[in-house]
Amino acid sequence: MVGTRSGRRHDVSPAGTGAPGTPRRPGRRFDLLPYALVTPLALFIVALALFPAGVTIVQSFFRVDELNPPTTFNGLENFRHLFADGSVRSSLVNTGLYVLIGVALSTVLGIVMAVTLQRPFRGRSALIAVLILPWALPGVVEGIVWTGIWDSNTGLLNSVLTSAHLIPEYQVFLGQHRFLTIFAIELVQVWQMTPLSTLLILASLQNIPGELYEAAVLDGCSPWAALRRITLPLARPGIAIAMVQAVIATINVFDQPYVLNGSADTGASLTMQTYFISFQNLDFGEGYALSLLITVATLILSLGVVKLVYRQVEF
Amino acid sequence: MTSFLRSRTLLLTGAAVLVGALTTGCGGGKSSSGSDQTTGVTITVTLATEPPPKASLDAFTQSTGITVKWTNTDWDSLQTKIAAAATAKTYFADATNVDWSRVGQLGKLNWFHPMDEYLDTKALAGEMPQLPAFTSNGHVIGIPYDASFLVTTVNKKLFTKAGITTMPTTIEQYTADLKQIKAKGVAQYPLNIPFAAAEGLSTYWYQTTAAFGGTILDGAGKPQFATPGSPGYRAAEWMVDALKQGLVPPGNINVADSQGQQTLMAKGVVASTFADYSGNVGSLYSVPASSTVVGDVTYLATPGVSGPGPNMSNPDGIGIPRQAKYPAAAAKFIDWFTSAKNQAEFAGAAGPDKVMPGYFLPSRLAGMTELTQKGKLIGGQQLGDLLKNSAKPVFPEGAPSWYPEFSKAVYTNLHAAATGSVSTADAVKAIAATADKLSS
Amino acid sequence: MPRRLPWARTLGILFIVLWSLVPLYWSLNTSLQTDAQISERPANYVPPGPTLRNYHALLTGPGEIPETIRRSSLNIVVECTAATLITVVLATLAAYAFARMRFRGRQLLFYAVLATMAFPAYTTLIPLYRIMSVFGLVNTYTGIVLVYVSGFLPLATWILHSYMTSLPLAIEEAGQVDGAGRMQILWRIVLPLAWPGIVSTAIITFLFAWAQFLFPLVLSSDLSTQPLTVAIAALQGRHVVPFGLLNAAGVLALAVPAVIAVSLNRFIVNGLLSGSVK
Repeated sequence: MVGTRSGRRHDVSPAGTGAPGTPRRPGRRFDLLPYALVTPLALFIVALALFPAGVTIVQSFFRVDELNPPTTFNGLENFRHLFADGSVRSSLVNTGLYVLIGVALSTVLGIVMAVTLQRPFRGRSALIAVLILPWALPGVVEGIVWTGIWDSNTGLLNSVLTSAHLIPEYQVFLGQHRFLTIFAIELVQVWQMTPLSTLLILASLQNIPGELYEAAVLDGCSPWAALRRITLPLARPGIAIAMVQAVIATINVFDQPYVLNGSADTGASLTMQTYFISFQNLDFGEGYALSLLITVATLILSLGVVKLVYRQVEF
Repeated sequence: MTSFLRSRTLLLTGAAVLVGALTTGCGGGKSSSGSDQTTGVTITVTLATEPPPKASLDAFTQSTGITVKWTNTDWDSLQTKIAAAATAKTYFADATNVDWSRVGQLGKLNWFHPMDEYLDTKALAGEMPQLPAFTSNGHVIGIPYDASFLVTTVNKKLFTKAGITTMPTTIEQYTADLKQIKAKGVAQYPLNIPFAAAEGLSTYWYQTTAAFGGTILDGAGKPQFATPGSPGYRAAEWMVDALKQGLVPPGNINVADSQGQQTLMAKGVVASTFADYSGNVGSLYSVPASSTVVGDVTYLATPGVSGPGPNMSNPDGIGIPRQAKYPAAAAKFIDWFTSAKNQAEFAGAAGPDKVMPGYFLPSRLAGMTELTQKGKLIGGQQLGDLLKNSAKPVFPEGAPSWYPEFSKAVYTNLHAAATGSVSTADAVKAIAATADKLSS
Repeated sequence: MPRRLPWARTLGILFIVLWSLVPLYWSLNTSLQTDAQISERPANYVPPGPTLRNYHALLTGPGEIPETIRRSSLNIVVECTAATLITVVLATLAAYAFARMRFRGRQLLFYAVLATMAFPAYTTLIPLYRIMSVFGLVNTYTGIVLVYVSGFLPLATWILHSYMTSLPLAIEEAGQVDGAGRMQILWRIVLPLAWPGIVSTAIITFLFAWAQFLFPLVLSSDLSTQPLTVAIAALQGRHVVPFGLLNAAGVLALAVPAVIAVSLNRFIVNGLLSGSVK
C-alpha cells in the first residue's frame, strides 16, 4: 500500500477521534482532550506572538513618536510618510531583488542537493551533517565568516582570483555596483538557508515510492525525464514549504546587508529601514506601519507560492 | 485558503480589542521609583567598553559598599538597548552610555536623570571642557568620562620615505604630500577614509569640515554646508575627490572606521588617517600584537586652511536612566569613575595594572595634567595641548534630537557620492535638505 | 531502484561539501593565524604556523573577555536546552491533537500558529519587551526561554504535524481496537514511531535558539543571562576589532552546532526517512 499522503492533511482527516466507526463530527459529548493538548501552545501563541503583533498592527495607525508624545490616532499618515521616503522606496527595490535571487537560488540549489541525497549511499548521513552546518551557524558569526571571503584587502575570493590571474588586482565586490552587491549579500543568505530548503525538499522526496522509478525505468525513461516527470511534480509540497521558508527569510533580510554593506542604499533592506525608523528615529508608529506592510507582503507572497506550487499529489 | 484569511481577520480583531484594553489600562503609568540607598547595593553599569581593572572596582566597593556589575555591549547594540528600554520605559542598567551624538534625542526623551540632581555640574563645567556638549534643555544628562576627539595620525616612516621631512600644517600641503607618497610608490593608496555607510563616515566629514574652517549646523540646526565653497561642501568634495584620484584604497567604499584603522593604518598600508581617534596611537598603532607600524605613527595637529585646524570632540558620557533601581548609588559611582585620580590611572598614570582597556584621555583637565606630568601617555603632551586649545564639540549646544536621522542622511549620501551613483553636489544637496526638513 | 547517473551524484556531493565547508574552513584558517599573516597577499591557504593564541586570548586566564565567553557559553546552553525541551513537549502534544483529532477551532488555531511565522522579529520586539518587563522577566532565563518557545513553537508544531500525519494509521487503529485510551496510544504507539521526528524537531529548535541575537540582546541586561552570540557581537567593539580573535570566537560559537550536526545527524536522517514508504 502506498503511504498516506501528507498533502491531504487538512481536508478530510483520515483519523477519527474515536474508534473506527464512531461518528466523525465533534459534538454529542464534548471532547476535552484535544483542547487540553493544544491549550499550552495556544497560550504561548496568543500571549507572546499574536498579542504583540496585534499591538503593532493597531499602533501602526497611530502617531507613536517617542520624541513627540502623546500618541494620537493619525489614520494612514504613517503609510503616506513611508511611501514618500526615498530610502524606503530604494529599499523596496533592493528587497524585491533579495527575494527574487534568494528564493530562486535556494530552491534550485535545494532541489539539486536533495536529489543528490535522495538515495542511500555510503556516507550520506555524514554528508547531511556537512550540509546543515551553514544553517546551524549563528547570524552574528555568518558576517564574520563571509567578510573573510568578500573582503577587498584580505578576502579569499580576491586571493584566489588574483592567483588564478582572472583579475589583475584585488577588487571591491561589495558596495560598488548595486546588483553585484545585492547578489553577493544574498548569496550569504542563500548559503545559510539552503540546508533547510534541502531538508524540506528531501523529506518529500522520501515519500515518493520507489515503484514509480522502477516503472519509469521499465518504460525506458531517462534519469532526466524521471526527474522532470516524477521527482519534481511529487516533491511539490516540499518545494512549496522550502519556498515559503525562503520568502519569509529573504523578505526579512537584515543581518547580512547590515554587516556586509552598512546602511548604504546599494543594499539596505526594508527591515533595516524598520530598524532605523523605530530604533534610531524612535518613530515607532511609522516603524510598525512598515513592519505591517512587510508582514502583509510576506503572507501574500507565501500564499501565492502555496497556490502556484503546492498541489495535491494523488496517485 | 479563504478560511485562512477569514480566521486571521477574526484574530486580528480580537487582538485589537485586547490592545485597546491594555492601552487604557496602563496608559500614563510612568514614574520612576528608584531607591536612594547607597550602601549594600549592586548596580549594573552598561557601557560599550571593557571595565576598569578589578582591583580598582573592588576598592570602590570597599569604600562605598556599592558592588558594580559591569556589562560590556558593543556600541550599536547598546544604542538598540537604550532605544528599546527608553520606549518600553524599562530598567536595564543603573548607569549607561550617553553618546555625545544622542544627547538631544535622549534629553528630549527625558530618559536620563538630570545630573545636577546628584552632582555639582556647575563646578564640573570648569573642569571638563566637553561637558557643555552633554546639555539638553539646560540640564546636564551625562558626564563625559573620557575626552576622545578626532585628530590626524600619520605614519612618519612612510612620509619620510617619500622624501617629506616637514610635516604638513595645511590641508593643501597635506594633500600634496599624499600625492607625493603615491607618486613615489611608497604607498599605493596613502589616505584612509572609512567610506562605509556608517556613523564613522559622518564623524570623518564633521572633522574635515572643521579643518576647512566651518561647522555643520548652526544653533537652530540649519545646514551651514549647502553652498559650494562653504567649508562643509569643500570637505565633502575633498573626501570624494581623494577617493576618485586614487589616494584612498578603493576597497574603503565598504570599510568602517575601526576596520580601516586596524587593517590599513596599523598594517602600514596607508600613510595617514585624517580624522582618527585620539588614543589610537597608544592603544592600537603602538601595540605589537595589533600593529606592524609600532613607533612609526604619530599624532599630527590637524591640518587646516592656513595652519592647524580645530579638533572635533566625540567624548563618551555616562548617565543615569530614569528607571535606574539605585540612582543615588549610580551617581556615587559616576563621581568616582570620573574623578581626576581615577581618570589619570585608567589612562596609565599609575602603571599598566591600573589601566582601563580602551580608555582614551581624562575628561578632567586635572586628570590630564596628572597624566602628562608623569609622562605616561604616548603623545600625551601633544594630546593634552590639543584637548585644551583646539578641541571643540561638533554641536556646541548639544546634538539636536533628530541627530540619528541626520547622520544617516550624511553617511548614506556621502557613501553614494563615493560610489559615483550621485554627484557630490547632489549628495550635499540631499544632506542639506534633510537638515532643513528636520530642523523646521 | 533505477540506476542513477553516478557522475551527477558525485558532482552533487562535491558541490555540497565545497559549498558548506569552504567558508567555514576559511574562518578556521583565519583563526589560526596572527593578524600579520592574515593580511598577507596572496592569502595563506593553510596557516603558515598554526597558532592557538587567539583561542587562548578568548578562553584562558582571568581577564574580562574569557570570563564573558565562559559565562555566556553557559547561558546559551541553559537557554537553548530549556527552550528546546519545552518547545518539543508542547509541540508534540499539540501536533498530535492537530493530526489525529477533530475539534472546533482546529483549523483556525493551526493557521493562526503558522501565520505568526510571517511576523518580522522587529515587529514584536517592543511589545514583547514591555510584557516581559511587566512580569519582571527581563534579564531572567525564564523571560528569554518563554520568548524563544513562543518563537519556535510554530515551526516545531508544523514539522511534527507533518510527521505524525505521515505515520501509518493502521497501528493506532489496532491500538484503539485493543481499547487503549488516546493518551496511551500517544505514549505507547505514536511517540515510539514519531521519535526520530521529535529528535529532529528538537535539533532544529536547538539550533534556531543557538542563533538568536536580537531578542536576547534586548531581554538580557548583563552577563547573568547574556548568551554567547551577544557576547561575540560585543567583541566587535567600537574601536578595536582583532580579526583573528573574531574568527576564533566564530569558530567557538559554531563548535556546538557542528558537534550536534555531526553526532546526531543519524536522527535527522531517520527523522526524514521514517516518514517515507515502508
